[in-house]
Amino acid sequence: MMWRIRRKKDKKKKQSALKQSKQEQDPLYTHITENENQFRQIYEDCSDVILHPFSIGGKHQALLIYIDGLSNTEEIDDSVLSPLMTATVNDGEQQVSTLIKNTVAVSDTKEVHTFSDCIQAISTGKPVILADNSQTGFSLGLSKWEKRSVESPEAEKVVRGPREGFVETLTVNTSMLRRKIRSPKLKMQSMEIGRYTKTNVMITYVDGLVDKTLVEEVLNRLNRIDIDGVLESGVIEEFIEDDPHSPFPQTLATERPDIVTSNLLDGRVAILIDGTPFSLIVPTTLYSLLQAGEDYYRRYLMATAIRWLRYLFLVISLLLPSLYVAVLTYHQEMLPTSLLISMAAAREQIPFPALVEVLMMEITFEALREAGVRLPNQVGSAVSIVGALVIGEAAVSAGIVSAPMVIVVAITGIASFTIPRYSAATAIRMLRFPMILLAGTLGLLGIMLGIIMIVVHLATLRSFGVPYLSPMAPMQFNEMKDTLVRAPWWKLNKRPRLTGESNKYRQSSGQKPSPIRGKE
Amino acid sequence: MVDKGKISAMQLAFLLYLAITSTAVLIAPAITGGIAEQDMWLAPIWGSIAGFLTVFIAYRLNTIYPKQTIIQYSEKIIGRIPGKLIGLLFLFYYLHLNALSLREYGDFVVGNFLPETPMFVVLGTMVFVCAAAVRGGIEVMARTATIFIPLIFFLFLFIAIMLIPDLEPKHMLPIMENGIGPSLTGGFLASSWFMQFFLLSFFLPTLGKKQKGLKWGMLSVIATMLTFFLANLISLFIFGDITSTFNFPVMSAVRYISMADFLQHVEAIVMAIWVTGTFVKIAVFHYVLVIGTAQWFKLSDYRQLVFPLGFLLIIMAIWSAPNLQKVAHVLGTTWPFYDVLVHVLIPTLLLVAVWLRGKANGKNARKK
Repeated sequence: MMWRIRRKKDKKKKQSALKQSKQEQDPLYTHITENENQFRQIYEDCSDVILHPFSIGGKHQALLIYIDGLSNTEEIDDSVLSPLMTATVNDGEQQVSTLIKNTVAVSDTKEVHTFSDCIQAISTGKPVILADNSQTGFSLGLSKWEKRSVESPEAEKVVRGPREGFVETLTVNTSMLRRKIRSPKLKMQSMEIGRYTKTNVMITYVDGLVDKTLVEEVLNRLNRIDIDGVLESGVIEEFIEDDPHSPFPQTLATERPDIVTSNLLDGRVAILIDGTPFSLIVPTTLYSLLQAGEDYYRRYLMATAIRWLRYLFLVISLLLPSLYVAVLTYHQEMLPTSLLISMAAAREQIPFPALVEVLMMEITFEALREAGVRLPNQVGSAVSIVGALVIGEAAVSAGIVSAPMVIVVAITGIASFTIPRYSAATAIRMLRFPMILLAGTLGLLGIMLGIIMIVVHLATLRSFGVPYLSPMAPMQFNEMKDTLVRAPWWKLNKRPRLTGESNKYRQSSGQKPSPIRGKE
Repeated sequence: MVDKGKISAMQLAFLLYLAITSTAVLIAPAITGGIAEQDMWLAPIWGSIAGFLTVFIAYRLNTIYPKQTIIQYSEKIIGRIPGKLIGLLFLFYYLHLNALSLREYGDFVVGNFLPETPMFVVLGTMVFVCAAAVRGGIEVMARTATIFIPLIFFLFLFIAIMLIPDLEPKHMLPIMENGIGPSLTGGFLASSWFMQFFLLSFFLPTLGKKQKGLKWGMLSVIATMLTFFLANLISLFIFGDITSTFNFPVMSAVRYISMADFLQHVEAIVMAIWVTGTFVKIAVFHYVLVIGTAQWFKLSDYRQLVFPLGFLLIIMAIWSAPNLQKVAHVLGTTWPFYDVLVHVLIPTLLLVAVWLRGKANGKNARKK
């Protein structure tokens, strides 16, 4: 019910937004001077917009509009201006528009009829040509602007695997996907989000693998968004999540084309956004947030072992500080005697209870990490290492924190770096603090209650209709071989059930390699 | 249907298994050991007969009224007022039973691990977590149980394997020294846990595939029986005749675990993991209470009831018994009769009533 009310409100808002730009919806005028005046009014005080009046073959008045720096000026001069200006115009009834169409040597030429069409074309870097006595203009696909070149992704490095990452330009990103999936089944639906930024957003999926209702749902949720501007995928993520208050990310943000490709082939939908290298993959599950792309390129035994290591360190990064507090405060008998004695000796001088000590150190560590991220490269690493060393070492020798505590914080920090997805790692980092408080008040029981609470929350979560904990709960034995372990490729015959239902098998079975023997 | 969630029969079996074994393993060996003595290992086997019976009755009633729970169909079978009264009895019974389980948990935690924490805090935190799960609905509870079941399973396996060096099989001799009587009486006490399988009646309407309900229900009874049997056997092999003097024999047995001077005093970990089982138990019974109450009052949503009834549960747990000994005494003496009344007698009578009416209707139909 709430949804419907909200949707109605959204419609109203959108309508009022449309009214404001009503005049931009008007069709072009016939006279070039009127058009020119209108454009000069629209682009008042926009000194980067160039309006260049010229005449076609010395007879027809024409106007060229483009934005400096967004279009390829050389091409404009060579293939648009010079052919048009030198064109021989017959006195016959030849239309100006056909003349332009036939003379301009640009492959991507489209007719435009309204002011808003023109504005849209111009702002995407496509020059627009208008001619006198014609209500039809032409937009020319000559956009060219400074782009970052394709580099290896900063946030998701691999030892083995493709080294290209997405860039800020949408067309480059889509071309990378198209190069990986060379099938017309790869569909890309584009839409614009943002009243002012008019950001191009691409909904990408593989037809025949994806569940159609999922695509519709994605489109619906994206269509509801009505904001000023989209600067990063994070903005869109917050609008389309199922549970916006959860600390856990319900979309997978990645800047690796190979990860997007493999998810598309599993029947998921990717949302690519212009202006950011991060694309969103929906639906996602907790386990996919714990998988690195490299898992699928490594030998499967190693990949499985690494996966288990990752699960273990996930638990450690969540629980180690709170276990330390719980054991030292409530359950000292759990420690072997010799360890207990050395711990007690180390803690003898410490004035604080374990809870305060842990909170203090953990908060300091988080602050150090945050500072390290923001600092410029030259000083960043030095400051963070030295800071940690000095603070750790000095704090221990000054008797403010105990040495075991420093070890616990260090291991916890390393553990949180083993989680491949940054957004998932931050969720765990944040949940660590309530766990520490629970451990300080109720001991192991408190930790357990905290874990139950987290599991209950995770069990409630859904990402675009897919339970967040699947395939563990609800249990699907068949998919365990890609979550608990990473089965060899020739065993991964089926697609994930919840997203790849429409086309179950991804490869033919029985492909286990069996070399010919006995040729000594 | 108050809760629109759908679960699979396997998830249902997990839920019931966790809900019933978690307290059964904790205190049942002491209760059954008090009467059956060295034959206590037989008690779960006799008791499980009641389990199979209740699962069967619940399933039969469900096939007649596939989308309703006993709170709803009791009204249809024997009329509005008597049906409401039966519903009320069930609701009170579940509140009482859950309050006692909660009290057992509270006494267990306060007595063994957190002696200075007020009982109210221990109970309150647990009920809060359970209420959060119940609010999420049956699907959330089922998924949570699915996550926890491997944990509990490996814990139990761990305990059993670690205790092997301390086991003394000769404690079980002589078998049936005083005839079959003591073990049957013990079985009757044990059956009160197995009769709780009547909970199935509240969950069968949520099943996606109904036919599998009976099979997984029975499997769940078998798994419970085996776990129960193993718990009794371990307690007997370690403590022999003195099993019944402990409040929580299995937990006392865990204190014997010691490996290479490193792995010892693991009872805190065992307790911590056990909490997940208790959580499922209290959540399941609370869910049944909340859903039942919503159906009794014919409400369209049950969520508003979760926290108020949770509060009632805490108060009930504190007031219903002065101490754990009283709880154990009640469970070992009068409780099984209460159980038989609610979980076997009333459902059987309802089933007979349906059957008789069906016959009468059949005769009428033939006459016409």
